Amino acid sequence: MSELGRLALLLGFGCSCFAVGSIAWGLRTGLSGPLRSGRRAVWAVCGLALFAVILLERALLARDMSYRYVAEHTSKDLPLHYAFSSLWAGQEGSLLLWLLILSAYGSAFLLAYRKRLDPFYDAVAMVVASVMIFFTALLSFVCSPFRILATPPPDGMGLNPLLQDPGMMIHPPILYTGYVGFIIPFGFAIAVLLLNRSGTRWIEEVRRWTLFCWGFLGVGILLGARWAYIELGWGGYWGWDPVENASLMPWLVGTAFLHSVMIEQRRGMLKTWNIALIVLTFELSIFGTFLTRSGVLTSVHSFAESNIGPWFLGFILLSSTIATALILYRKALLESENRMEAIVSREGSFLFNNVLFVALTFATFLGTTFPVISEAVTGTKISVSAPFFNRVNVPIALALLLLTGAGPVLSWKRATASVLKRNFILPAFMGVLATAVAIPFGASGVYPLVCIFAAAFVTTTIVMEFARGIQARKDLETGALPSQVAHLVQKNKRRYGGYIIHGGMVVLFIGVLGSSVFQKEAHGPLKNGQALAIGPYTLTLRGVTEQQRQNASLTTAILDVSRGGKFVGTQHASKAFYSKAQQPMTEVALHSTPAEDLYMILGGVNEDGSASIQAYINPLVSYVWVGGLIMVFGIFIAASDKMRLRREEKLAP
Amino acid sequence: MGKSIRLIVLSLAVVAAVGYLILTGVKQTGMQYMSVTELARLDRAPKSEGFRLDGTVSPGSVVYDQRVPRLQFKMTDGKEKIAVVYDGLMPDAFADGREVVVEGAYKHQDRAIYASKLVTKCPSKYEAKGLGKDKS
Repeated sequence: MSELGRLALLLGFGCSCFAVGSIAWGLRTGLSGPLRSGRRAVWAVCGLALFAVILLERALLARDMSYRYVAEHTSKDLPLHYAFSSLWAGQEGSLLLWLLILSAYGSAFLLAYRKRLDPFYDAVAMVVASVMIFFTALLSFVCSPFRILATPPPDGMGLNPLLQDPGMMIHPPILYTGYVGFIIPFGFAIAVLLLNRSGTRWIEEVRRWTLFCWGFLGVGILLGARWAYIELGWGGYWGWDPVENASLMPWLVGTAFLHSVMIEQRRGMLKTWNIALIVLTFELSIFGTFLTRSGVLTSVHSFAESNIGPWFLGFILLSSTIATALILYRKALLESENRMEAIVSREGSFLFNNVLFVALTFATFLGTTFPVISEAVTGTKISVSAPFFNRVNVPIALALLLLTGAGPVLSWKRATASVLKRNFILPAFMGVLATAVAIPFGASGVYPLVCIFAAAFVTTTIVMEFARGIQARKDLETGALPSQVAHLVQKNKRRYGGYIIHGGMVVLFIGVLGSSVFQKEAHGPLKNGQALAIGPYTLTLRGVTEQQRQNASLTTAILDVSRGGKFVGTQHASKAFYSKAQQPMTEVALHSTPAEDLYMILGGVNEDGSASIQAYINPLVSYVWVGGLIMVFGIFIAASDKMRLRREEKLAP
Repeated sequence: MGKSIRLIVLSLAVVAAVGYLILTGVKQTGMQYMSVTELARLDRAPKSEGFRLDGTVSPGSVVYDQRVPRLQFKMTDGKEKIAVVYDGLMPDAFADGREVVVEGAYKHQDRAIYASKLVTKCPSKYEAKGLGKDKS
């Protein structure tokens, strides 16, 4: 069976090469035959990758220990669903999943545009296929998932306990769907340059694809944060770890692109900049994979270090060099059609937004790679961690939040003083009001107060925009407010979807502010019946139990939680001891309310039978997840715009 | 022309502000990489206090009081050892002989690092070597 797997990947390599060659030939000669066979080869790679995944999954589920990958990442006592998800627990399997998603994107792309006979779309498929060459080559010649052991062990090494979590079953595939998806925008950009295409139609198409994978990447990042919160047991969800930063960077540049692309659509400006942003987003998602897998930087997430680092670095260098050369070669195509008329305008705010997003990405990049950079420049290796990012990134992020409120209400070309006055007085007033109200509740410090001001400011501008929209349609529409809002959104999904995304971002910022600035902590050893007080909560130890699970033994502290003297529930904080990994795993107890999370960790059981308990109050942390959900909702609305457009296109002759 | 000059000035101001944040950020929060041997062989207090060390947990040196909670151990790079004090719960993957990364303040009079961050590297890649060779 393993030979079949190797053969499938090898054939995939062959098909990818064929696809690139055939499409290139078709583009040169204008023959449609080679283009058609090239398209079919892309489909074939998708089928072959799927076949290889099924073969590996079959081995994983059967715990066939003759496979090195299976022996390294599973064990016989591993629950079935984790055996399934260990496909992406290690490097070879992760790369295989990459290939599957990549080829699925290629096929989905061809499916979506199968009626278009424009060779432009074949050129995009050719770019996708050339990236498939890289991944099939890696999987065939450098790190094959189908290596067979000379002497199969009686049992495997087991799955890292950190990965035995429901979150880990969905976080990596969703994150990869986001990462890998940027191949399509990248393909569009390269195709535009290769074929010297002008026009804005591709810009609209690329916006939809970017919105799609940008959304997935965002959800993936948040799921990762959620996993870290529940599984890593340190009371937080974001630690500015290199791997976290790696996933954030393409998301930030993607966000910049989604904004600046609107200027190109409306005013035909910033063309070079937009192409550069697409290329950068794609390179950063490859760089993210490189960081996670190369072991260049120390991270809690770098589960396996390996030899594929140089390959990725080489790929990034090659692809960015080609892209840069093409941009320079096609300078004339990317000439701007208009000039900026005033700084205080929609364009100006977008430009400012872009500068800030790129600065944020740059600071994150610099901080993440600082050990490598400082060693190269000064000879001493210096590392920076969370305090650096909090100092540098927080003010930039707050400036962006303020801009979220200002940008959408500035008019295109030039905003007049009366417009400014009309749009800004009420939001600014609400911002000041919110800040004044927050101070007696214990808010202090410049950044928290700016954040509160900005949150109220942005929320007010969004509400005003909705109100204005409804007002303008007053004579057309009557009915209840919710249905009026729904109709308004339906009429301009991109615009109001965008506002909803902004609203979600505000909610997320409130969550980050609350949980980072107002966190409370308490700890202590508790004997049966003893209590630990933290904020309004009292935790009383009711006992410690021992239990056996499928592949771990579990020690649990049973805690009665009361808030202000009123019993609110019984919680179980545990430590699981995984016999295979010879390692304990903290299992956090979480009492979650809209206002705050009570987060409880069992440190261990002492000789005298007392349990060491550490507890945190994380205010408003649920806002982070709710903000994320609101953003997803907004993305759905903004992206669903395309259905309507498509239908109109079909009707048009 | 005034417009484009204003635009350039504004962009430069942003770049300068971000540059300033980065520079002061590095200066105030940067931690220098040191090997355990380099730090242990210092004969006087170093100029800066923030350091980052890679090494392994010296077997038998771990003293853990989970009531405080405080974790103390000796870290080694194979040649020298240095004491580490970490106020916090023991990370799950922490054990004798494991690879750890420590960030914190070095106090020369105590010859110890007071760690603000302790990361335990995952051990699985070392265990995997026990699987033997591939079938040819």
